Amino acid sequence: MKNKLLLAAAALLGTLLLAPAVFAQSDCTKLVPPSPFGKDDETGATNRVTPAVTKAAAAEIQTGKVTTLTNVLVDGVPLFGTRFSKTILTATGLAPGGALGENNLTYMEDTWLSQSHVGTHLDGVGHIGRADCYYNQNPMGKFINQNRMTKLGLEHLKSFATRGVIIDMVRVFEAANKLRANPQCRKPCIDKGQVITPEDLQAGLKMYNVTLREGDAVFIHTGWEDLFLQYPAQNTLYNSGEPGIGEAAAKWLIDQKVILVGADTWAVEVIPGESPSKAFSVHQMLITDNGIHIIENARTDLIADEAAATKRATFFLNMTVPKAVGLTGNFVGIEAIQ
Amino acid sequence: MSIAGFTPAPVLGRRSLLGGAAALLALPLAAQGAAERRYRIGFANLTEDPGTRLEGLGFTGGDVQASFVLAARSLPVEMVFYDNDRNREKTLANADDAIARKLDLYIQYCDDAGANGEVAKRMKTAGLPVLAVTYPVPGAPLYGPDNALAGRLAGEALARFANATWQGRAAAVAIVGDLANLGDHVPDRVEAIAAALKEHLPSAAQTRLDTTGNPAQAEAQMRRFAAAQPDHKLLVAALDDTTALMAKAAVEAAGRVPDTAIVSQGCDRSVHGGSNDKKEIDPTNRGSILIGSVAYLLDRYGYEVLPLALRMLRDETVPPRVPTRHVLVTAANVFTIYPPIDMN
Repeated sequence: MKNKLLLAAAALLGTLLLAPAVFAQSDCTKLVPPSPFGKDDETGATNRVTPAVTKAAAAEIQTGKVTTLTNVLVDGVPLFGTRFSKTILTATGLAPGGALGENNLTYMEDTWLSQSHVGTHLDGVGHIGRADCYYNQNPMGKFINQNRMTKLGLEHLKSFATRGVIIDMVRVFEAANKLRANPQCRKPCIDKGQVITPEDLQAGLKMYNVTLREGDAVFIHTGWEDLFLQYPAQNTLYNSGEPGIGEAAAKWLIDQKVILVGADTWAVEVIPGESPSKAFSVHQMLITDNGIHIIENARTDLIADEAAATKRATFFLNMTVPKAVGLTGNFVGIEAIQ
Repeated sequence: MSIAGFTPAPVLGRRSLLGGAAALLALPLAAQGAAERRYRIGFANLTEDPGTRLEGLGFTGGDVQASFVLAARSLPVEMVFYDNDRNREKTLANADDAIARKLDLYIQYCDDAGANGEVAKRMKTAGLPVLAVTYPVPGAPLYGPDNALAGRLAGEALARFANATWQGRAAAVAIVGDLANLGDHVPDRVEAIAAALKEHLPSAAQTRLDTTGNPAQAEAQMRRFAAAQPDHKLLVAALDDTTALMAKAAVEAAGRVPDTAIVSQGCDRSVHGGSNDKKEIDPTNRGSILIGSVAYLLDRYGYEVLPLALRMLRDETVPPRVPTRHVLVTAANVFTIYPPIDMN
């Protein structure tokens, strides 16, 4: 018994001694740039959505046509590895005798047990870091507990009521006669591994006479979502890679001071990446270094078709994010209103 | 033969962790990429038969070609791919085609020394520069593995483990694999492993188990070896990853897991994977008896070789021999060297 106590004490001491190593803090001033929105900022790029930006974006609403940019979230859609999203329906009210009162009120509700980065979802500023350093030089080892982050959570985001821009890479690549499609796509798509460059983005903007402005939300249509839409048949292929922006295109978008970059892919950036020994470097550039959000698994084909039909690639972005305290991201519903 | 053209991406200053030096040297070149013309570079693969393992390791010709396709995306090059198919006639026909097409440079990956000599002659006559991969081509710079270094890394890792973990306990060494594979210089790896172990763990007796190119034989050989060494700790230097996994299965079946450490050569996808794959070498599997595998990076050849090719095309000096930057891949560094892409 005495030995067991000694062992337990030694284990506890060991754990305590190891703890600083586990939560070793880097000098975040050397790894991550400071935020342009101030040393205490936890919001990121939505600081750019000022009343003037929202008012200007409202001018995009001309016909009132609403186009979704959201994919369904249901069993069978592509999720990575052990990712899950499950619902459990509580419907006891439908059982005999379950109705309430003379008016026979019945009800149903759900238990939603899900990871947050599933389906069409937003990456918050606490999602990606460089070592233990996150957006605005925050050493996040200090700001987490068992359940959530205590800094950089979604509750700090401001409005996404801004102008959205769809950049149709499929049509750009078709026009340039360089579309290398994947045979499993039923509609034209850009194949995985294809790097989207700043010149490609600029060609897409020029196609509809759009100039990006500060506070815009940019969505990129690659056609890769066609594999998502075939769920579950092409889930493995969908997850095996994707076309996307490279580091140069990310830099260019950062320079335009956009607030988010979305795409019809699961990571927005090209996979396999440009350097085989880097992991998701565009995520770090956008989120960690600049507080710019990423939207993954967006549905972009409908708004791309709408843009082609109307010659208008801009819209009012309708998207809200739950004030979910301490979350790193969440699934969202997105609409383009024109 | 196939052609894949890619739009060059503007320069980012990116560099490979492992290929830092080469990439850094290539930066000035890449920085001028937008201004200079695109080069047409041929790559004649050893073989694209998916059933053939290359260089005595677990990689295929597909792995090598894919690395060229991916690396070319960010460089001012248009790749023209050939399959030498381990066939001399095809190899020479490929070279002739490259000459007829007036390619700017030819990368030859062929283990037929006679064919390589003839290719060298024809290319010299045509004035087409050649870069050789793994197997020498007369007069051409050579990129390829440093077999002695790779072997030494494995031997040192095993000795280090034994000295740190089993201090003072008797240990027996098995070097297991295709010992006599001269064409791929496997004996060079074996001798380097043996020498490193002798230097750092002189008391451990060494045994060589020859699978004659059939990794499946390793299981029976390792069972017998383990049974013959009931009182010894077992240090296993496997000459490829498949053999390492076979050896691991053997000691598991023999109940000798606590007594065994294995280090392998190659680090192909059978031992490392993404964050959801849970392969043998994985940060969440730090207790594995397969403590590491020496990376040969055949799946990065394109990233290493194309910058060299561009330096040749720019008349810059290229060393006559550029070795692979081998590194021991363990659970502690596998995600740094092979970052997973399935975590998003």
